[in-house]
Amino acid sequence: MELRDAILGRRSIRAFLPEPVDRPTLDRLVEAALWAPSGGNAQTWRFVIVTDPNRIGRLRAVSPGLLGDPPAVIAVCQDLAASRRLGSTLGETFLAIADAAMAAENLILAAYDEGLGTCVIASFHRGAVGRILRLREGVDALLLISVGRPATVPPPPVRQRDGVVLYEVQDEA
Amino acid sequence: MRLERERALFELVGYMVTSARNLLDETPMYGPFRLVDAVSRLVDWTGEDASPRLRGLRERIEAGKTSVMTDAAEFRAFLDELVFAIVEMMDELSPDVRQGR
Repeated sequence: MELRDAILGRRSIRAFLPEPVDRPTLDRLVEAALWAPSGGNAQTWRFVIVTDPNRIGRLRAVSPGLLGDPPAVIAVCQDLAASRRLGSTLGETFLAIADAAMAAENLILAAYDEGLGTCVIASFHRGAVGRILRLREGVDALLLISVGRPATVPPPPVRQRDGVVLYEVQDEA
Repeated sequence: MRLERERALFELVGYMVTSARNLLDETPMYGPFRLVDAVSRLVDWTGEDASPRLRGLRERIEAGKTSVMTDAAEFRAFLDELVFAIVEMMDELSPDVRQGR
């Protein structure tokens, strides 16, 4: 698949078929995430892959943004203690978030290339997710990504361009 | 209550409580979305006990709920239609109304 086709064709999927996603496929998705850039090459991210239906059910209970019944969920986490140690305040408060987002984008495009649907979710209770995933002290889940075969694919939302894309400066005055 | 059923109910309860907490920090439009989504999940939880009316209601919610993310006006209209649909369903369930009283 051409990269541009993946970028333009990917949609956020919120309804999944009850088909499992095998481990080699999930590994390939996370491999794509690992090749994302990171501020100062810190690579302080951690990825927790969840396929146990019971654990996914518990994640759903504390993740209002996790819609549908995906066969897999990947938590994009950050070792914020390491982010601070390597990148100081900027590392902890900004780079950790930006790095997680860039890794997530790689992952969801790779998933689309595999014929899988994904949805990136930030609406969850961070502390509760940390407990369910038994995250270590100083490690936080920043994003959850649901993964599975799409049951329905929504139409593309309108992409605004006017006033959004500018050359050189924003205000001409 | 069987363990599986209780577990599924806890999933719904957890969803509602976590929504209450998270909505303190989220866009206000997600409030109505979480409420109708909770209705859908509640009907889903009732399983075989859900009447065809309730199952139909759930299908309508599933078909329209994500408009909140793309078109606020469409989502508002979807909620209005849902309210009217519920009134109709309640009318059907009320013998007095059916008899024109």
